[in-house]
Amino acid sequence: MLEVAGLRSGYGRLEILRGASLRLPAGSIVGLIGPNGAGKSTLLKTIFGYLRPFAGAITLEGRSLVGLRPDQIMQLGVGFVAQAGGLFADMTVHENLLVGGYSLGSRGELRAALEDVYARFPLFRERRQQPAASLSGGEQRALALARALVIRPRVLLLDEPSAALAPRFIEEVYETIRALNRSGIALLIVEQNVEMILSVAHRVFVLDLGRNAFDGTPAELRGSDRIRRLYLGEGSRAGIPA
Amino acid sequence: MVLGGLYALFAVGLTLIFGVLDVINVAHGEFFAVGGYLVFAALVLLHLPPAAGVAVAGLGAFLLGLAVYPLLIGPLKRRLGRRPAGSLYLVLTLGLSTFLQSSLLAVAGGEYVRVPPLVSGILEIGSTGVSHQRLLVVTVAALLLAGLFAFLRWHREGLAVRAVAQNPEAAQAMGISLTRIFVLTLGLGAGLAGVGGALMAPLFNVYPAVGFPLTIKAFAITILGGMGNLVGALLASLIIGVAESLVVMAIPSQWQNGVAFVVMIIVLLLRPQGLLGRATSR
Repeated sequence: MLEVAGLRSGYGRLEILRGASLRLPAGSIVGLIGPNGAGKSTLLKTIFGYLRPFAGAITLEGRSLVGLRPDQIMQLGVGFVAQAGGLFADMTVHENLLVGGYSLGSRGELRAALEDVYARFPLFRERRQQPAASLSGGEQRALALARALVIRPRVLLLDEPSAALAPRFIEEVYETIRALNRSGIALLIVEQNVEMILSVAHRVFVLDLGRNAFDGTPAELRGSDRIRRLYLGEGSRAGIPA
Repeated sequence: MVLGGLYALFAVGLTLIFGVLDVINVAHGEFFAVGGYLVFAALVLLHLPPAAGVAVAGLGAFLLGLAVYPLLIGPLKRRLGRRPAGSLYLVLTLGLSTFLQSSLLAVAGGEYVRVPPLVSGILEIGSTGVSHQRLLVVTVAALLLAGLFAFLRWHREGLAVRAVAQNPEAAQAMGISLTRIFVLTLGLGAGLAGVGGALMAPLFNVYPAVGFPLTIKAFAITILGGMGNLVGALLASLIIGVAESLVVMAIPSQWQNGVAFVVMIIVLLLRPQGLLGRATSR
């Protein structure tokens, strides 16, 4: 569905990605992990058009995404949830969702999409007039996810959905991620919380210094002593379960 | 209140542009001047009715504002990429200001232009009276600003303008074209200034640089209200407008224009983020 091949990208003249590749099949969850500075977030931002690649290919069902702006990529059915959520803090919950449906064609379509989202997240129906900034960290992350769902995306790119969340909120966010995937959405998730991502991903890519260091299933990753030791290993900050 | 209404039309537009584009538009006063000249052309040269004259002025300034992003700010933004702009936009819009003043000078000449009142008559209130022209300024300013706030609150594109002002990257992720919103915002800000120029033209003489002092004062109002805060700009406009009117009763009128800056300095010393601004901004 979504394919990245030989991607080179970065900021100004600083090259962060040095030939990274990955594949996100339809309906799957792919985890993207690796040490800080490996280029994980840069890869997501380049896929979504925030950064223009120096070289390489990004295709969605065969169509190149290179050179498209984020708003154009979004209209192809790709949603993006930034690391900090990227909520419009001064707007209410409902206004955030309305902006999420900006690209929908008609009022009727928007109304139906909002109904779907409120049905999935009943809490937000109760708090629709509450400022987004007043929600808890976990609720804000859930609202960012809910907002990305208004357009009914086929692909969701999530940048560290568990970052800075208390453990009980992380569970809630990942439960939502599982539910989204069950509804047919393909998810590419950048994550520092290796344990959580391995519990949901069908496939995992490890990036290091902007290049692919591993590509396989969570079980294969758990079985690779070299990868566990070098990038995620026991005793290190990532600490995956064996 | 008349001054407050004028300042509000002007400063809210300037603040909107700053909040959305992060650009201090030094050329804002020239849209005010364009509005003044357009209402003169509509009323005196074309003999259109006053309402049509004001509409022509607002529409003309709006269209001129629409052109600023694609012709000036957009190309510079693209050339800069992710590099910080520093004071480049300030210099760019200063250049636009000078160009527009020179263009008005070339087309209309340097003579003062007098515009007849859009409405005549005086409303007697006790022992004093207020001209209908002044009441018109306050009424139209109030209606336009209410319309602007309603647009930003309830309209799809208005929500998009607010979204871009708060978080441009996240707004893009919602499918919002930044270019479209930047163009629209400059058009709206310029249109408000143009209507302001048309409404005030019968009360002031119109000349090419008529808007420039207003721009400087609007900067003080924008800072006083809190950079990028529309409600703050509205509040600050009313405070400065009323303060300027009251202060001439107590001290010589030569001090009137300094009032805005004295109030601004006092507020900045006590509350650096302005009346309704936050301690930090993007």
